[in-house]
Amino acid sequence: MSKIKQFVQQSWLLIVASFFFGLLIAVTDAGLSPRIEQNKVNKRNRLVGALLPEARNFVALDTEIQIESAGGKTEKVEVFKAQSESGQCVGWSFNASGSGFADKIELVVAVDAKFEKIAGFAVLSSNETPGFGDQIKGDYYRSQYKGAPAGELKLVSIGDPKQIDSKIVAITGATVSSEAVVEIVSYFVTQIKEQMQKKGIIGNVQQQAS
Amino acid sequence: MSNSRQAKPALYSQTLLAGLWRENPTLRLLLGMCPTLAVTAAVKPALTMGCCVIFVLVCSNIIVSLMRDLLKPHVRILMFTLTIATFVTIADLILKAFQPEMSETLGPYVPLIIVNCIIICRAEACASKNGLVISIIDAVGMGVGFTLTLCVLASIRELLATGAVFEIQVLPLARDGGWFVQWAAMGMPVGAFITLGLMLGLVNIVTGKKT
Repeated sequence: MSKIKQFVQQSWLLIVASFFFGLLIAVTDAGLSPRIEQNKVNKRNRLVGALLPEARNFVALDTEIQIESAGGKTEKVEVFKAQSESGQCVGWSFNASGSGFADKIELVVAVDAKFEKIAGFAVLSSNETPGFGDQIKGDYYRSQYKGAPAGELKLVSIGDPKQIDSKIVAITGATVSSEAVVEIVSYFVTQIKEQMQKKGIIGNVQQQAS
Repeated sequence: MSNSRQAKPALYSQTLLAGLWRENPTLRLLLGMCPTLAVTAAVKPALTMGCCVIFVLVCSNIIVSLMRDLLKPHVRILMFTLTIATFVTIADLILKAFQPEMSETLGPYVPLIIVNCIIICRAEACASKNGLVISIIDAVGMGVGFTLTLCVLASIRELLATGAVFEIQVLPLARDGGWFVQWAAMGMPVGAFITLGLMLGLVNIVTGKKT
């Protein structure tokens, strides 16, 4: 009994403070989380909107798309259908991530309605070296993806960056970051394309588009 | 009575000014080196980090000062950490809600304020031994001192790395026909170490002359 009394005497402030602080965080989180979630949606829509200029609305796909990650685990990917003002499908977008030079690189990738060409990518988050690896955010590198075939891409060290094909010219001094983006985009695009073809989603779009 | 009335404003101003120069947390006490080196590539993130630290410092000093008589010696560090972690989490949520881009720029360095030595040092050295007013003044002084140092360091680095200060172009860039060649290294960690080292050396020279 005396031990319990001693325990309460020593720790009552800690217990009370834990409840009080927990409540304070919970109230703040409840008040701010809708705004935080909205910020994430706005950012994503803004980035994809720049890649698919005709898109006005983004609808999450009902069908679950699962891809196999590099480690052999199954990963669920949320695919968004980009719709024009008239409700027509103008493309698809999804988040893709993988290891970069310094840290994880998170991208949002957009492809056309038929899933034949890549509309581009934007960097959601990365921690690549300033002045070198962070040039993956720059137009020089990103513009090479606009119109590239939605399939396997290859990184080359020498080539014409203005020529749009499956060859992506690496950024000088940032080969690892350049290669990381090529691998992430290639991997996610091919995997998601395969899954969507299997589930007949792209076929439906082709019929709609035609 | 009249003596104590005269002494209080002097004590308050002394406490406030201590954080700015005599006990400046970064330049004199060498505390909070992690954010000092990590978020000073540009002025905007440095200023935001400084404001977050001021908020956490003031709030934690208030709480610690209010419960100083209830604190048991062996749980006091635990209580400080709990208090600091709470206000850092709140600051992080506020930043994510109202400054989402800045929150992404600062990345993990906002949650890392929890382990910022300045805050736990002020809780232990000041708030746990003094009244509410003096604790708040101490927090403001230390916080502003930290923020100003970060802003000066960030201004130098941003200017040399991009030719701009607070994202306003100051020096004409060579690529646009001007004379200034951007010094990319200043935007990288090496730039932070060099600039901070030079600033600390300068402070040592200045203080060395005075003594």
